[in-house]
Amino acid sequence: MSFKIENVSYKYSPEAPQILKNINMEIKEAQVTAIVGPSGCGKSTLVSILSGVIPTLMNKGELSGSFQAGDEVTISVVSQTPENQLFGYGVEDAIAFGIENMGLASQDIHERVEYVLDLLHIQHLRKRAVSTLSGGQRQAVCIASVLAMRPDLVIMDEPVSSLDPRGKHLIQSVLNQLRSSGQTTVIVDNNLDWFSGIVDHVVGLDQGEVVFDGNRDEFFAQFDVQKKLGVIIPQEVEIYRELSTKVEGLKPFSTLDEAFKELSGRIERTEVPPLHDEPEEQTEAVLSVIDLSKRFQDGFQALKRINAGFEKGKIISILGQNGSGKTTLVKHLNGLYRPTEGAVTYKGAVTTDKSVAEISRDIILVFQHPEHMLFEESVYQELTFCARAQGVPFSEEEALAVLEKYDLLKDKDELPVNLSMGKKHLLTILSVLFSSADVIILDEPTLGMDLHLRNHLEDIIRHLKEKGKTVILISHEIPLVFKISDQLLVLDQAQKLDEGSKQELADDEALFEKINIDLPPVVTLSRRLGLNRLACDVDSFAEAVISKLHLIENSKN
Amino acid sequence: MGDFLQYVELNSYLHRLDPRTKFVFFIIMSVLTSFVKSGVALLFLFVVFLAIWLSGRIGKYMLVLLNKVKVLLLFIFLLWLVLGAFTVNAGPTIYRAAFSIFGNPYVFSLDWFDFYKGAVYSLRIFLMISAFYTVILTTNFSQIILGLQSWKVPYAVAFGVGLVFQIIPMIVQEFATIMEAQKSRGLEVDKCSALAKMKNYVIVSLPLLFRVLSKGHSISLAMHYYKLNFKVKRTSYKMIKATYSDAFFASVTAIATVVTIILQVNYYIQV
Repeated sequence: MSFKIENVSYKYSPEAPQILKNINMEIKEAQVTAIVGPSGCGKSTLVSILSGVIPTLMNKGELSGSFQAGDEVTISVVSQTPENQLFGYGVEDAIAFGIENMGLASQDIHERVEYVLDLLHIQHLRKRAVSTLSGGQRQAVCIASVLAMRPDLVIMDEPVSSLDPRGKHLIQSVLNQLRSSGQTTVIVDNNLDWFSGIVDHVVGLDQGEVVFDGNRDEFFAQFDVQKKLGVIIPQEVEIYRELSTKVEGLKPFSTLDEAFKELSGRIERTEVPPLHDEPEEQTEAVLSVIDLSKRFQDGFQALKRINAGFEKGKIISILGQNGSGKTTLVKHLNGLYRPTEGAVTYKGAVTTDKSVAEISRDIILVFQHPEHMLFEESVYQELTFCARAQGVPFSEEEALAVLEKYDLLKDKDELPVNLSMGKKHLLTILSVLFSSADVIILDEPTLGMDLHLRNHLEDIIRHLKEKGKTVILISHEIPLVFKISDQLLVLDQAQKLDEGSKQELADDEALFEKINIDLPPVVTLSRRLGLNRLACDVDSFAEAVISKLHLIENSKN
Repeated sequence: MGDFLQYVELNSYLHRLDPRTKFVFFIIMSVLTSFVKSGVALLFLFVVFLAIWLSGRIGKYMLVLLNKVKVLLLFIFLLWLVLGAFTVNAGPTIYRAAFSIFGNPYVFSLDWFDFYKGAVYSLRIFLMISAFYTVILTTNFSQIILGLQSWKVPYAVAFGVGLVFQIIPMIVQEFATIMEAQKSRGLEVDKCSALAKMKNYVIVSLPLLFRVLSKGHSISLAMHYYKLNFKVKRTSYKMIKATYSDAFFASVTAIATVVTIILQVNYYIQV
């Protein structure tokens, strides 16, 4: 069935500002609808209204307009943190929970559990404990538990935001199954990149209003809307956006194959080995790990004889699937873990005898979830926490200037936990600007960030590099990693597979196949088009294509 | 913290038992250890527990428990030792002296019996805790809910109890992560005075509170998404059924109870 939302407006209390303003949209049957928009645009409020949380659980606000969902209609939600949603120790218990609540006969419950296990191809997980599943598997079980209730509409709220590439692939395949089974689905996520191949219909919200309502291709054609909403789009669309203004008659594309088809007709492939940039001058390794091994008390070997150096003033990304040892490695760098064998040295001195707080003066680690870090009573206090804890001098003007630059000045007296997830994350990262540390480690810094905040993040990382700081990054956002990193360190199953400049490693397709991570489209396209330099970001790819087109044009003339 | 205070997945007979059998074991042992004060009887009960733990392959987890509660047990032992030293008991004496404070006469009498008393009370407390812990280690929260439901405990109560056991490991994990995050940004909790350490632990409680509140909020939303309504009759995917192993375990519990009571009657020394 289709769902019509007509003239829906909402505010959380009579005195509060209007969060949703006269929303009109339709969720079409058997289609995948994406709701996109920047942080604070009203997406979550809309989900609460669609799912009945407003007004059933939250009834103090002012809701007007109509949304036709009666008692007989089942609307279920898959949240971004399945561990907070799944009730039950085992996978079967968790899947059955919702249908048990519906009071169905035992036979029906068994049939539905079998159906969803088959539909999502997760029969092999049925006897596992939920706590032992990977992030992607947990999310798949969460989707199964919701589907078992045979909902008329499934809403997914940023379902892959904390998953590694393998987890994302699993959820993509689950969504493909759902789409082919005719399930009406809404995905609320400002990152369209991972589900662009599945989505049929896009609704864009900004400041509580619908500013776009159309199909996927129409959305990809509207560059201004994409930018205004801060939507992260597939890199192929970014390439088209960049080239369409410079190359005449270019037809729109949004997939790798379409892009290749469109560009290969214009560019003659040359079979020359790819050129690499001149290797940058090697600087001293400010931080090194020597023969580092870690075996935990339960016998699990998390790292095996890792040797690596992190150079001054470089941005180094650590790549690998979940469980490859990335987080364990960085927790050794700042002293949270002590090696079973080997050592970590900072400027040549072993760090073993220092406490974590002492090490943080030189090497600081920003955690993945900002809520684990925030505890001050205002944004300003939180920003300057590191400086105060480490005794680093700072001026109020300096701090206020940083808040202003990153659009946080109006929130300076706000309780940090009240900020949006992306802003909270930005704040924890900004606080390291006032620390004395020379090495900054960022673990999944893009969590909860829309494109605007992500641009701020890139700016901060470059700023740190300019100041001669070493930035170590763990991120599953591969296009971003290739765009901003100087060097890559690849881990797999507790071992170092390779390290080097991003261009050197991008050239090694087998390496990325082995770790099951897709190279960014710009790298793959550069190779398939025979560009003489593997581009790692959209700008350099566009530049390479344009210069090749000019060469062809000149040779024709 | 590792596996402390949570279910441990193992394929042992203890894990396969009907949760109700384990609940009965817990109730009987709690009552028994509340009344039994005979050292011999408690020692016998400890041997029975030991046999259950070793045959159920949870011995190493009980050692972890012992390690965690050792300070409490030592405190109980010393408390009864000190209190006992101001009472004159029969039996061999280690040291006895009379003295007066503000004209009031007192006798300090450290007897072997005081050590016995301290040990008995420590053992009783340990057995009480470990009876509960044996059930927690071997029964997951879904089984706890099923067991309570089959005893006609209202689902709201059974679900609440199960939820507590689901959430405890999450909170323990959250606390550990918050500690790591705060240390990483410069909060000193390793090389500082006990007072500073305590103050810093209080600081950490704020993000923990926010995380717990946020989890509570997410869980209540999830209950709504899954249409959980305690007024509506629920059905069940899984059924629990007692087997011969349950009959055997219940028999062992019953025999151990009878023997303990006999030992208590025959070897009770007033403590």
